[in-house]
Amino acid sequence: MKLAVLLAAAALSAPAATFYLTIAGLGGEADYDQRFKMWAEDIDTSLKRAGGDTVVVTLQAPTRDEIRARFADLTRQVKPADAFVLMLIGHGSDDGVEYKFNIPGPDITGVELASLLDRIPAARQLVVNMTSSSGGSIEFLRKPNRVVISATKTGTEKNATVFARYWAEALRDPAADTDKNESVSALEAFHFAERKTSEFYDTQKRLSTEHAVLEDTGKGEGERNPSPENGEGRLAAVFPVVRLGANAAAARDPSKRALLDKKEQLEQTIDKLKYEKAAMPEAEYKKQLTALLLDLARTQEALEK
Amino acid sequence: MRIGCSPGLRAWARLFAVAFPLTLAVCAQSLERAEALWKARDYKGANNEFRLLVEKFPANPDYRVRWGRLFLDHDQAEEAAGLFQEALELKKDHAGALLGLALIAAEQYSGGAEELARKALAADPKLLEAQELLASLALEDNDNAKAAAEARKALAIDSNSVEGRAILAVIDWLADKKETPWDPHQARGYETAGHFFMINRRYEEAIQYFRKAVDLDPNLDSARSQLGINLMRLGRNEEAYRQLETCYNNGFQDKATRNSLKLMDSYKNFVTFQTDRTILKLNRKEAELLRPYFESEMRRAIATYEKKYQFKLAQPVQVEAYPDHEDFAVRTLGMPGLGALGVTFGYAIAMDSPSGRTPGSFHWDSTLWHEMSHVFTLAMTNHRVPRWFTEGMAVHEETAASPEWGDRITPEILMAIKNKELLPVAEMDRGFVHPKTEVQVIVSYFQAGRICDYINDKFGWNTLLAMIYDFGQGDETSAVIRKELKMEPAEFDKQFIASVEASTKSMVDGFDQWQKGVKQVAESAGKKDWDAVIKEGTAIRDLYPDYVEAASVYEFLAQAYTAKGNQAAAMDELERYVHKGGRNPESIKQLAAALAVGGRKKEAAEVLDRLNLIYPEDADLHQRLGALWLDEGNAAGAVREFRAVVARGPLDPAQAHYDLARAYRLNHQPDEAKDELLASLEAAPGFRPAQKLLLELSAESEQAPRDSVKK
Repeated sequence: MKLAVLLAAAALSAPAATFYLTIAGLGGEADYDQRFKMWAEDIDTSLKRAGGDTVVVTLQAPTRDEIRARFADLTRQVKPADAFVLMLIGHGSDDGVEYKFNIPGPDITGVELASLLDRIPAARQLVVNMTSSSGGSIEFLRKPNRVVISATKTGTEKNATVFARYWAEALRDPAADTDKNESVSALEAFHFAERKTSEFYDTQKRLSTEHAVLEDTGKGEGERNPSPENGEGRLAAVFPVVRLGANAAAARDPSKRALLDKKEQLEQTIDKLKYEKAAMPEAEYKKQLTALLLDLARTQEALEK
Repeated sequence: MRIGCSPGLRAWARLFAVAFPLTLAVCAQSLERAEALWKARDYKGANNEFRLLVEKFPANPDYRVRWGRLFLDHDQAEEAAGLFQEALELKKDHAGALLGLALIAAEQYSGGAEELARKALAADPKLLEAQELLASLALEDNDNAKAAAEARKALAIDSNSVEGRAILAVIDWLADKKETPWDPHQARGYETAGHFFMINRRYEEAIQYFRKAVDLDPNLDSARSQLGINLMRLGRNEEAYRQLETCYNNGFQDKATRNSLKLMDSYKNFVTFQTDRTILKLNRKEAELLRPYFESEMRRAIATYEKKYQFKLAQPVQVEAYPDHEDFAVRTLGMPGLGALGVTFGYAIAMDSPSGRTPGSFHWDSTLWHEMSHVFTLAMTNHRVPRWFTEGMAVHEETAASPEWGDRITPEILMAIKNKELLPVAEMDRGFVHPKTEVQVIVSYFQAGRICDYINDKFGWNTLLAMIYDFGQGDETSAVIRKELKMEPAEFDKQFIASVEASTKSMVDGFDQWQKGVKQVAESAGKKDWDAVIKEGTAIRDLYPDYVEAASVYEFLAQAYTAKGNQAAAMDELERYVHKGGRNPESIKQLAAALAVGGRKKEAAEVLDRLNLIYPEDADLHQRLGALWLDEGNAAGAVREFRAVVARGPLDPAQAHYDLARAYRLNHQPDEAKDELLASLEAAPGFRPAQKLLLELSAESEQAPRDSVKK
């Protein structure tokens, strides 16, 4: 009974919004300026096209004061229940002590970025630093309940990066949604962009000069392969970066609660079965999996009626 | 271990000399000690002795030359060449230094070796090693008469010249004479014989001679190493490894030995697929992806050639595809003028994997058919075919398989035609074995291919077949030309070159204008001045239609027409590009996409299918092609393509398995379809399209037994 009340309350409460701030830094050369601008616009378009309860802000080569001003605005707008996503595209530098994001005028440091982020009330935050040397920013940006993704493993990977190109692609390519739940999580987008970046260097027969990492424990160095074994990726897996469909609609319809409960139960049973796969005969596994999947498919069909 | 003579060490040696004059004095006089250490394979010790000698007697070129020979023996040609050059600065006609440089050039099969050896002989007419080298170089060019004359000169200098006798013996042995009065009866002589059988691609006999050399002198590790390498070439890896490991443990660790051992260590990463006609060795990481494409093309090539050459292969053909070009390069170490993409050892082919090269730079199937042709010409002649002819046949076969395959005429080839640098047919082997420049190898491949095209067109395929059998009987090129073409080689050259010049005249004449024009087109494209690109591009495109490499006029024009919204014209340009042999995956995919949008899905699929023979590693290719084949009802094609997507370890496994399930269903393979659906839903249980298909399949399987009961 108590659970039912809580569910009803959750269904009636205003859904949380997601605020996106994308900043394209200084290219230094026309080619890079154009590239950074294009990637930022690509992200902006995907986010706006996805719609939903979102606020999308994109800054092209802003100064430090402009960045501060925009953060101040957002600090006023964002609520604790909201989510906040910061995406940095461009060149970065790291002298072993300090990370800097290259922008017109004085650069902005990792410490200052962390300070600006800390003032944003959103409890759930995602920072995707796609600059060169971005690995050097992890130590400043990491924090509990904040997912930090960097295009490079350390501050010493100083060459211009291509990770942003594929991160932008992840936000519009349905292939990034590997669990097909119609939303791309931070973990899914990370895996997509990381894999595509590796393929880029393989295909070009070039030595890879960037190795993206993810940190979401608030205390790690960042992992190239976030997994339950290394404890990274749990928060990122449940942080939706972009929604590709209207999967939340059914969840708001009380008349379908029973079916939804059944669906969740089936999904959990399937997950459990998958863990037991190695310990059971293949034929038996297939039989049980088929039965569960058929049941799930029929439940989903009923939900859609 | 590499030995070095860095300036830092030299400075240290100088300091050492000041501090310990007595020690240095002892070392400085120890040329004999250096030589003894070298003989004992204490390269480090010998190196130190030579360094001290050179420090002590900087004006003496002899020490530098001996030191250089030590480096040469230690597989450090660059350091050796530096010391020989230093010696020549001290004495400009130092015979030993000139010989050293000649030996380096010979080892690298570069064209300058003969000139250097002759200079060395001019400086010292009794320099036996230089005379022996001249004999060897002539035999490498298959010029038996010249080789015999040079070998006799070596024997005139020293009647015990092992090399001189060996060269004369090899001439007899290569001509299948079992008995020869020149048998050197020495390990070094048999090693020389092994070398010549190896460069004539007669690996079995090469192995016999290297083995004979090692039996006579078990310490002759250079011969043992070659024994191991040639065993490896024929796939006898167990003994190959044992022989090479023995060399390594004995301190004989040249690049070929080290790298061959390393390569064989990496074989654990390869998997072997065997059928009745084919053996395929692929790297584990790409084996499942490449196997269907390689196996089907191997079978198709064998079937085509068996019919065409009227010859049945005695055993399966083995193909090894290396994703790391450096691994493939090990297979060709120490061999002259080999193509950089593939090499054939009897029934074994080693080649780059499509993933070993940048996308679009390599047509793997064209290479496969090229190498397969070698398998036939080598088998039909029992390996007695001259290099130029087997290469010519192989190049001919590439474009015979498809006019879009094979290498296009490069600017270097046009220049060679313009400057009348094509070789006489009787001397064609020189262009492969001792090319004067790297370009000459490319030109020689082109020329050899065109000669075979020309004979095929003018005299017919059966003449080419007859020539193969003549070569198999041991006839030389000139004799074969006279016998089969009924003309003197010089007359053939005249007619052939006139034909090549006529067929390439417009390209040769228009090349300068094209070259200037293409720069303008590129500049206009950079400025996005699309009208200028179209005007200039259409004006020059057909001056050099064979140019389909990076920044081709076709692609600039397609880009310009696309920017101007003229999709039909863009498509026309890309079609021209593809039919001319253009291989840029992005341009091929662009054409396929445009055709698909225009409703020409079958053509779109055929265009994309070309990419499978160029760069099958492209995941997007298989996804798109699978979808097109599915739409066109080509179930088997769709299964192959979606299997490739799955084999590649897709980013989106749920979608990949679902697509494959649909293809299997269309191909009437319900069990496989169901398995793939389970794999899809296992990855993403909530994936609606897969759920719907699962329900449909389930309903169908429930319906099927009811229907059978009704019947």
